[in-house]
Amino acid sequence: MRIFLTGFRFQLRVAWGSPDTLQICVTAPLFTLVFMAIAEHAERPDLAPFAIVSPTLMSLWTLALFIAGELIGDERRSGTLEALIAVPARLSTLVIGRICAVTTLGLLSFAEAWLVAGLVFDRWLAVRHPLPFVLCLVVTALAMAATATIFSPLFILMPSARTVQNTLTYPFYLLSGVLIPVAMLPFWLRPASHLIFLSWSGDLLRDSLAAPAPHDVAARLAAVLALGAVSHLIGMALLHRVLRRVRRLGTLSHS
Amino acid sequence: MSLTASITAPARIIRYSAANALADMRHMYTWKTWTFGWLGRMLAQVTFFAFFGHVIGSADQTRYLLVGNAVMTCVIESMMVIVSTTWERRVGTLTLLSAAPAPLSWVFIGRSLQWPVSGTLTSLAALFGLGPAFGVHWRAGQILPVTALVVLTAATTYCFGLFVAAVAFNADGARNIISNATYLLMMAVCGVQVPTSYWPDWVRVVAQAIPLTQTLKAIRSVSGGTGPALVPACWAVLLGVGWLVAASWMFQLMARRGRRTGSMGTGA
Repeated sequence: MRIFLTGFRFQLRVAWGSPDTLQICVTAPLFTLVFMAIAEHAERPDLAPFAIVSPTLMSLWTLALFIAGELIGDERRSGTLEALIAVPARLSTLVIGRICAVTTLGLLSFAEAWLVAGLVFDRWLAVRHPLPFVLCLVVTALAMAATATIFSPLFILMPSARTVQNTLTYPFYLLSGVLIPVAMLPFWLRPASHLIFLSWSGDLLRDSLAAPAPHDVAARLAAVLALGAVSHLIGMALLHRVLRRVRRLGTLSHS
Repeated sequence: MSLTASITAPARIIRYSAANALADMRHMYTWKTWTFGWLGRMLAQVTFFAFFGHVIGSADQTRYLLVGNAVMTCVIESMMVIVSTTWERRVGTLTLLSAAPAPLSWVFIGRSLQWPVSGTLTSLAALFGLGPAFGVHWRAGQILPVTALVVLTAATTYCFGLFVAAVAFNADGARNIISNATYLLMMAVCGVQVPTSYWPDWVRVVAQAIPLTQTLKAIRSVSGGTGPALVPACWAVLLGVGWLVAASWMFQLMARRGRRTGSMGTGA
């Protein structure tokens, strides 16, 4: 736990002033502005939850992809990966602590989106079902951190994957229903959408902001956690594979 | 300097610089990664916004969002000039360029030309390839004017992007933020997602000075057959030239400041 918290605190200090974190702080309100403008212009204030939830999930995903995805690579480039592996503390625990800090920062984008809807469009959205809402935010952040553990080793194992790093944004937003409910996607896409935890998170977050009580909350939260756990297992397997490989090739400190 | 030399000298420098831009593009993408990676991502972005029209439940809104966001793809790519203008500093060639007798602006005009070219192709693929799936159908007579207007959008936005790049010349660390924030603001107020009339008067006045507002008006006129496209297109040309002149002036100003403070190699 101490190692986890050390990684968490360290990453908070690193990420707080980093351009990528600042970028999320700037882009999340602007995305909210865009989505809210579309909804208000169409005289559909009922779509305000979509306009607020979507930038939050997009910010979390972007941070996972661009900051968490570079963690191992950055340590390797700066020559500190050797020392991190040589110490008795488990690298995976440290990495998870750091990634959790990144996703925690990403949750701030919800506050930004909520404020933009209120200040610019005078839509002060009440969280009608706070318990499911808060629980969903927490498990979403955890699942996102778990999923992010895949990217960091993947970008080292497959350098070509970084070329398409930017392409893992909108196709994924579309498929996971962060703006459009999965039920509105083409029928043949829905099974794939249900395999992405964000589709469960997005639906539950929107339902928690709506008047009717959300249904099957426990099952939906469990789906987010289960999919996050699967991602985490894949991420850990990839991380071990990367470490074995760079040790074998003697390229721990080479990028 | 003779009139011929005053034209050929900048053209030669821009051409050399554009060759660098092309080399960068070739290094970054193969035709496969561009088509299935980049183009696929941008088409997904257009689909993402057009689907919001489905959520709203309006076919008109879906078509409006499709056209706006398809044109927006060339704007996003053209605005990447803000990011790629820093590359000379990163590879350490900016000090050499600033020591050369040619104005810095000529180099930067050619240095990021890969973006408007790639952006034009992306926009055309989105408009003509994706459009019909969302109810935006094209007649043969509309294809040429719409293509010309997309080229105009990419070119004039590139001029505007050059100006922003020049203003942010010494803010290396904030390049991505400035680029993303600028295009998202354009996406909000230039008539991409909602008509400019939705916004307060002062926002509308600012939006009129951005070429995208004019070219998008022209493209919507052609696609909907609702009015003359020539007037907004001419305004876009004028604005593009204006932003290009402003960018050249700003690059000179920033280069002078950089030489004076000794920050050409390091940024702010």
